[in-house]
Amino acid sequence: MKRTPLYSEHVALGARMVPFAGFEMPVQYAGILQEHGAVRHRAGLFDLSHMAQFELRGEDVGPWADALTVNLVSTMKPGGARYNLFCNESGGTHDDVIFYRLDDRWLLVCNASNADKMWALLTQRRSGDVALTDRRADSALIALQGPRSIEILGPLVDRDPAALRYYSSARMTACSRPALVARTGYTGEDGFELFIAAGDAAAVWRRLLEAGRTAGLEPAGLGARDVLRLEAGMPLYGHELEEDISPLQAGLGWAVKFEKPRFTGKTALERQRDADSYPRIAGLVMSGKAPARPGYEVVHGGAVVGEVRSGSVGPSVGRNIATALLRPDVTQPGARLSIRIRGVEHEAEVVKLPFYKRA
Amino acid sequence: MAQPSGLLFSKEHEWVKFDGDVATVGISNYAQESLGDIVYVELPRVGSAVKQFGNSGVVESVKAVSDLFTPVGGEIIEVNGSLEDEPAKVNRDPFGEGWLFKVKVADAKDREKLLSGDQYDAFIAEQK
Repeated sequence: MKRTPLYSEHVALGARMVPFAGFEMPVQYAGILQEHGAVRHRAGLFDLSHMAQFELRGEDVGPWADALTVNLVSTMKPGGARYNLFCNESGGTHDDVIFYRLDDRWLLVCNASNADKMWALLTQRRSGDVALTDRRADSALIALQGPRSIEILGPLVDRDPAALRYYSSARMTACSRPALVARTGYTGEDGFELFIAAGDAAAVWRRLLEAGRTAGLEPAGLGARDVLRLEAGMPLYGHELEEDISPLQAGLGWAVKFEKPRFTGKTALERQRDADSYPRIAGLVMSGKAPARPGYEVVHGGAVVGEVRSGSVGPSVGRNIATALLRPDVTQPGARLSIRIRGVEHEAEVVKLPFYKRA
Repeated sequence: MAQPSGLLFSKEHEWVKFDGDVATVGISNYAQESLGDIVYVELPRVGSAVKQFGNSGVVESVKAVSDLFTPVGGEIIEVNGSLEDEPAKVNRDPFGEGWLFKVKVADAKDREKLLSGDQYDAFIAEQK
């Protein structure tokens, strides 16, 4: 089992460590609901160092990545960040990722669960003037998320974080260490992600926690992160995305640039788009108190019309929430369906995603 | 950590308190701590018959669904309905307000298969 450079920080903070994508990761510190509340109302600090960081350099990175992904990479400007997906030839998803364009290179952040698969794909498909560097062993990633993030980070960096637009990044000195600071995140709140050297991780983590204490900053684990991202309607690979679930099915059609001349999966995705008969991810809000869980059947008029992919309490929604992969004819917001929980059908209503949007 | 006196325990981390032929059942402090924030409890129907160590509902945390196994068999005569609105009572007070259900015990010998507080502590220590 691998450990991030912050492993001993987590243990010292009393985190409960669980296996996740080959890493021992903190699932919670004080408790998932408390950490969720901290991020929604104050701020939370996450160790995301398990996520894979790959560096791409060379004249051909833009067009090369355009051909391997559904979104546009070549049009990104230095300082930009863009959500993107790698698809297979059938249109299913290898991984959902973020590209960060820096002045002299690109940073690609992949899901930990897909890291080996993605590194293999990148190296096998490498061509032209594209140099790849695997930064997994020497990099760390800390996310500061929540409405008070900006006031916590401000005094610790040498540039004004408020000047960073959403989905952009800049090199800064953070807590006296070199960092790439990005205004990105996965919680539905304002926040920042700090890409730093593995050797600086513990010092930056401690400094942030200490500086943020009066603002109510708390360490937050993967448990809270999962509830936060689900409320914010953000897909998680292995749930809303899979090798056999396409970006269109996951509601990510906005990221698929069909105007590109070619990219892996384009033909299959075009066919899927034109037929428009594919099962798709929809949000469900439950009226009862039993939470839905992945794998539960979704039922309509006595027939199974889909399967729950994620399910949780939704503390910021006030109801239990779920995503499900559904037959397309039952995905209209307002549609009344049922989720079968231990043999009993529980009411669920289709709603437009996201479940939660910050004010 | 010493367990509250007067309770017996199962290896499935339920506690039971006998009062004549009525047994009150809950989950141990160790169990609620391991589960984390409890968000839903599904209890057996009043009047239903349960077998010792048989399935008798579920306790759900934010992340996980865990089956409940009753430490004693018999007839369910009462359930803690307040947990429907306040499942967090199980976290807050697992041996008190967070009790789960009461069983009219069918066979007094059921207690022989349960652990004392000290035996349960030793059992937990082995699990770690």
